[in-house]
Amino acid sequence: MTSKLLKKTAVALGGLSLAALMAGSAWANTTIDFYYPVQVGGPLTKVIDGYVAKFEEANPDIDVNAVYSGNYNDTTTKALTAAKSSAPPAVAVLLATDIFTLIDEDVVEPVDTYVKTDEDKAWVEGFMPAFLKSAQVDGNLWSIPFQRSTAVLYYNKDAFAEGGLDPEAYPKTWDEMVADGKAVLKKDASGQVTRWGVGIPGNIGSSQWLFGALVAQNGARLANEEGTETYLTDPKVIEALQFWVDLSSKDGIHPAGIQEWGTTPQDFLEQRIAMIWTTTGNLTNIRKNASFKFGLAPYPGNPKPASVLGGGNFYIFKGAPDDQKEAAFKLIKFLTSDEILADWGIQTGYIAPRDGSWETPALKEYAAKVPEILVAKNQIPDSVPEFSTHENARTTKVLNDAIAAALTGTKSAEQALTDAQAEIDRILRPYR
Amino acid sequence: MSAQRKNSSEIVVTAGGWLLALIWILPLLYAFWTAFHPPAYAARFDLLAPWTLENFERVWTAAPFPRYFLNTFLLVTLILVCQFVICTMAAYAFVCFPFRGSELLFMFVLLQLMIMPEALLVENYKTLGQLGLLDTIAAMGLPYLASAFGIFLFRQTFKSIPKELEEAARLEGANLVQVLLRVFVPVAKPIYIAYGLVTVSYHWNNFLWPLVVTNSVETRPITVGLQIFATVEQGVDWSLITAATIISVAPLLIAFLLFQRQFVQSFMRAGIR
Repeated sequence: MTSKLLKKTAVALGGLSLAALMAGSAWANTTIDFYYPVQVGGPLTKVIDGYVAKFEEANPDIDVNAVYSGNYNDTTTKALTAAKSSAPPAVAVLLATDIFTLIDEDVVEPVDTYVKTDEDKAWVEGFMPAFLKSAQVDGNLWSIPFQRSTAVLYYNKDAFAEGGLDPEAYPKTWDEMVADGKAVLKKDASGQVTRWGVGIPGNIGSSQWLFGALVAQNGARLANEEGTETYLTDPKVIEALQFWVDLSSKDGIHPAGIQEWGTTPQDFLEQRIAMIWTTTGNLTNIRKNASFKFGLAPYPGNPKPASVLGGGNFYIFKGAPDDQKEAAFKLIKFLTSDEILADWGIQTGYIAPRDGSWETPALKEYAAKVPEILVAKNQIPDSVPEFSTHENARTTKVLNDAIAAALTGTKSAEQALTDAQAEIDRILRPYR
Repeated sequence: MSAQRKNSSEIVVTAGGWLLALIWILPLLYAFWTAFHPPAYAARFDLLAPWTLENFERVWTAAPFPRYFLNTFLLVTLILVCQFVICTMAAYAFVCFPFRGSELLFMFVLLQLMIMPEALLVENYKTLGQLGLLDTIAAMGLPYLASAFGIFLFRQTFKSIPKELEEAARLEGANLVQVLLRVFVPVAKPIYIAYGLVTVSYHWNNFLWPLVVTNSVETRPITVGLQIFATVEQGVDWSLITAATIISVAPLLIAFLLFQRQFVQSFMRAGIR
């Protein structure tokens, strides 16, 4: 303990004197606030504190006050409240989809303002293009990918074998998924289903995410890149929702009504559902608790396979003083280095959004142990950003409600989406 | 005939009461079941399932609960004491010292009941920032120290106390403070207990404001600590979250069970049900 403390002090002193030699101004420490949410299990606040300690060691003139701030919603509320009271954090991890809201509220600053040297540019180019895409608006880069996830298909190999299917042949198209679902369906003597074919979570709050995947698989998209238009009445979009509804009402392989996001992994583990659509973030949980053989698969297509990306990015807050923003940029660069992103991925189950991370020995070793993770990584080029528009909270709710109405049968898919489109047109009119 | 009818309606009321009680307690029962069993039994009922304390162990090590408990305790105590003092004095003034416009002033106090605290988030934050109180326990409590509901409740109670009692006390030579402490407060004791219970449970559970206004472990209350287990993105680990929930509500639950009789009686007398 004492020797550790001594070592730490020595390193700090060493760093300090070095910095002092280099620049007199280094004596004036910059303190920044960094808000971050925790969305997955495990003692992650300690992991973040560890990274921050390393950063402070490397940058003795910067003190980082890392503040755990609930889930994404809470963090956004907290950051916006602070920003509106003119005391914003320098940097926060918020949803990638909040980009338009944050720009409209005029609280964030484009990150590329700080990208000056060739080294900085090379760092930006190291991110996978699919992840950068959702951070680019009006020719600026507004945020930096950090804790990113993607949705995949988990399937029960034992159930596949029992249903007379090849356990290694996962469904590649919608038709195959329906056929496989029927093959693995199991009923008891009274005709009650004991094992469903497939489960796609459709509760309020997560349905827009997976619906984005269904729509992309069907060759359409939900919104434009400027966040000003949605295409809910596109026949391809309606067809995608109809397919989801039919899984239960026509094919009878999906539990009736709305499948809950939070209980879906449990349903899979209890073998009540043979194929589930959920995030890669569940991999550790399912690996640990599955009593059967399971596989990870990319999503099927109709005909083009596609998935969606989710998760949070770093944003720099406009209202913070300049020296804090410079320090925040340094922190972001540090936390998105290949090595840290690789380690963060291993600790959490998030997908490292840089190709370089996947070349690090740590992640290579992990991928050798958990080959399923590569399925998720290889699917990324085929993935689309999550639904995001101006007034995102409101439009997302309208879309969520429409999906719920169709899944529970209170409206037809076409009616639900037509109504939703009209409502969203009204909300987005000022932005067009 | 009428006795019979009374009897059958009583059965309906009792059965309804039991039904509601059962619905009310189900989530708590589920939480107990899940918290004491391995995750595999989170959604499966099996009487022979093995019991375990592992969930509690994992929860306890994942967050600094003792510190969170202390913070919550300090916060709730601060609010409760201040609310009692401030609301009592305000209500006493409204009842016994009417002045021009006091009715209007009371209306303004009532108006506060209609404003959701969330709507004031930004303004409150700004004020506390100017006071330099961000990230303190005082900051979490300050916006709640004067309660419109408390003033209203105490005023109504004080009003129902017969004037004769007050006048008798005055004749005996009691001054204004003595009248308040020896006559009004003792008569309103059931109301104080009932109101205290409501306040304690509300602030024990309060989440958004404490989260927004605090940054560090040294000030944060238990609800903010609990949030770390609600891992939305990954699907919910029910065993952990139920264990954490039980840890957080345990002190209130135990206190309530111990003082149950007094609480129920005071609620009956106070007429808040």
